Amino acid sequence: MTCWDCGTEQPEGALFCNECGAYLLDKSGKPVRAPADQLPFTDEGAAPPQPHLAGQSWEAVQKPTHLTFIIPITGRRVQIPLEDDITVGRGPVILDLDADLGAQEGVSRYHALIRFTDEGLILIDQNSTNGTFLNNYRLPPEIPYMLNSGDELRFGDLLVHLFF
Amino acid sequence: MLNLDAITSRHYLGITTNQQLLYFLITATPPPQYTSQRLPLNIAFVIDRSTSMKGPRLERVKAAAKILIDNLAPEDTISIISFSDRAETVIPATSVKERLQMFTQLQGIEASGGTEIYQGLLAALHELRKKPPGQALNHLILLTDGHTYGDADQCLEIAEQAAARGIGISAFGLGAEWNDHFLDLLVAPSGGQSDFIASPEQIMTHLQKRLQGLGSVYAHNLRLQPKLPPGISIREIFKVAPFAQPLNKSKSDIPLGNMEGVSPISLLLEIGVEPQFTPKNIDISFSLVADIPSHSLIDFVTNHRQPITVQEEPPTEHPPDAIIEAVRILQMYRMHEQVWTEMDEGRVQSATQRMNRLTSRLAEAGYEDLAAQAQLETRRLMKMGTMSLEGRKKLKYGTRSLMTKSLALKTNILTDNEGQK
Repeated sequence: MTCWDCGTEQPEGALFCNECGAYLLDKSGKPVRAPADQLPFTDEGAAPPQPHLAGQSWEAVQKPTHLTFIIPITGRRVQIPLEDDITVGRGPVILDLDADLGAQEGVSRYHALIRFTDEGLILIDQNSTNGTFLNNYRLPPEIPYMLNSGDELRFGDLLVHLFF
Repeated sequence: MLNLDAITSRHYLGITTNQQLLYFLITATPPPQYTSQRLPLNIAFVIDRSTSMKGPRLERVKAAAKILIDNLAPEDTISIISFSDRAETVIPATSVKERLQMFTQLQGIEASGGTEIYQGLLAALHELRKKPPGQALNHLILLTDGHTYGDADQCLEIAEQAAARGIGISAFGLGAEWNDHFLDLLVAPSGGQSDFIASPEQIMTHLQKRLQGLGSVYAHNLRLQPKLPPGISIREIFKVAPFAQPLNKSKSDIPLGNMEGVSPISLLLEIGVEPQFTPKNIDISFSLVADIPSHSLIDFVTNHRQPITVQEEPPTEHPPDAIIEAVRILQMYRMHEQVWTEMDEGRVQSATQRMNRLTSRLAEAGYEDLAAQAQLETRRLMKMGTMSLEGRKKLKYGTRSLMTKSLALKTNILTDNEGQK
C-alpha cells in the first residue's frame, strides 16, 4: 500500500509510514487512500522528459496571476504574484531561499530567473555555481526553458515544486 | 505461576506477493495471589571516576551510593568499584554491616583519568562471583558519563559472560556525552535496563528505583522463545513495560531480565511475513521461560499460541488501540534514530526533512514537550547543520518513556481485548 501522506510504498499491515510517520489506517481499519492531487514527485531513477527550450512552442498561453512555490525541506509555501521577473536566490531577490537552508544546499545569491513571455513561463539559469535543474535535467546557463505547473525545480540541491 | 497474554494487530493475512506486517503486544504478569520472596541481593556498583565526573556529578554519585548502602538489608552483599583508565575495588564484596567504614571508603573516590569501562566491569564481575551461584540475585549497576576508550568489544563480551552466569546489568548514562547505543548493547544479554540521567540531582531517584525493583523480584532470568513458521520473522522487539528497552531479536532465547514486583512485562513485536500464496492456517507461538525462586522453579515454561488465517480478501480489522499507540511511539523513536543515521552518513537534507516531520508527528500526538525539543533541534540543524547530543538523549529516552506511559494509559483496553484471543 502507498502512504497517503508522502507517497512511499509501505508493507501491507503497516500501521504507520516508515518514512514520514503518518498513521495509515482510517476508522474502520482500512488503509487511507492517497488524495489524487498529490505532489508530482519524480520517481528516483526514472529519466524525466527533457524540458522544452523556449521558442519551440506555439500554443497561445494565458498568463497566470500567481505562482506557488512549495519547498519540501521546510514545508514552506510561497505565493508570488506574476508581475515582473521573479528572481531566485538568497538575499535581495523575489524568491529568497535563504531561510530554506539555501546557503547549505548550494543556492547562489542570484541563481535563476523566472519570466513570463508570449510563449509562456520560462526559467533561465543565471550562471549559478551549483546549477539549476528542471525535472532532474540540468539546464545550461542563460538558456530559457519552458515551465509547466507541477514542475520540479532544483536550485543547487534545494528542491522546489512550482504550481500555477 | 505466570500469566502470558498476547494481542495482535491482525488475525487474518492476505494472499499477496508483497511482504506483510503483523504486530504483537505480549504481556506477562505474576499470578494474582502473588507471593514474593525477597532474594538476598548481591550488587556491584561500578562508578565512572574519569575527570569529567569531577564536582557535583561524583559528589551526587557518592551520596547516592550511601543511600544505596543504607537501603540494603543485612543479608545483602555489596561491592563498589571505581574506574577511570584502570579500576579500583573501593569496597570488596561484603555484607552490609560496617556502614560507617564503607562511607569513609566511598568518600575517598577522586575524579581523574579517562574512561575504560572494561576494567570496571572486570573487577565488578570478580567481586560478584565471590558469592556462590544460586544464593542471591546478582546485579551490576554501571554509572558512566563518557564514551569508553577502545574496549567496547571486550565490554560486550564480558556482558555476555555475565549474563551466562546469571548476572544482570543495569547501565546509566549521566549527561550527554556517553554512547547510548553501546549501553543498549551492554545490557541486552541480560535483558537489563539502560537509561539516561539528565542531571546529577536525578541520580538518587534512578538508583533507588532500580534497587526497589531488584528487591521485589518475583521471577528472574526471563527469556522469550518465539516459535515462528518459516518465512515469518521478528523485525523488531521492544520491551515497553515496566521500562522501554530495545531487545536482541536475533537470539532464539530473547533475554527479558527480571519480573519485578507486580509490574507486568510488556513486549511489542513487529513481525514480517514473506509473500503468501495459498490459503492456510498458521500458528505463531511464544514460550516464556523463567526462574521463580519463591516456588523453587527453574526454567519454568508458559506458552501462548496465536492462530492466524491466511486467505483471499481478508476481512478489515481494526487493530487494538494499545497496539496502535505503542507502534505510533515506536515509529517516532525510529524516525529519530534514522535522523542520526542520516547525519552520520552526511545526508543533512534528508535528516532535516525527517526532523521536521518528527516535530509535526510529536505535536499531532499531543507530546508538546518533546515536539518543542524536536523543533529546537530542527532549527539547530537548519542553521548549523548539526544537532546537540543533549537533544539526542532527551528525544531518544523521551520517546522511549512515552511507550511505557502510553501503554499504562491503554491497559484497560488491553483487558477489553482479551476476548479476542
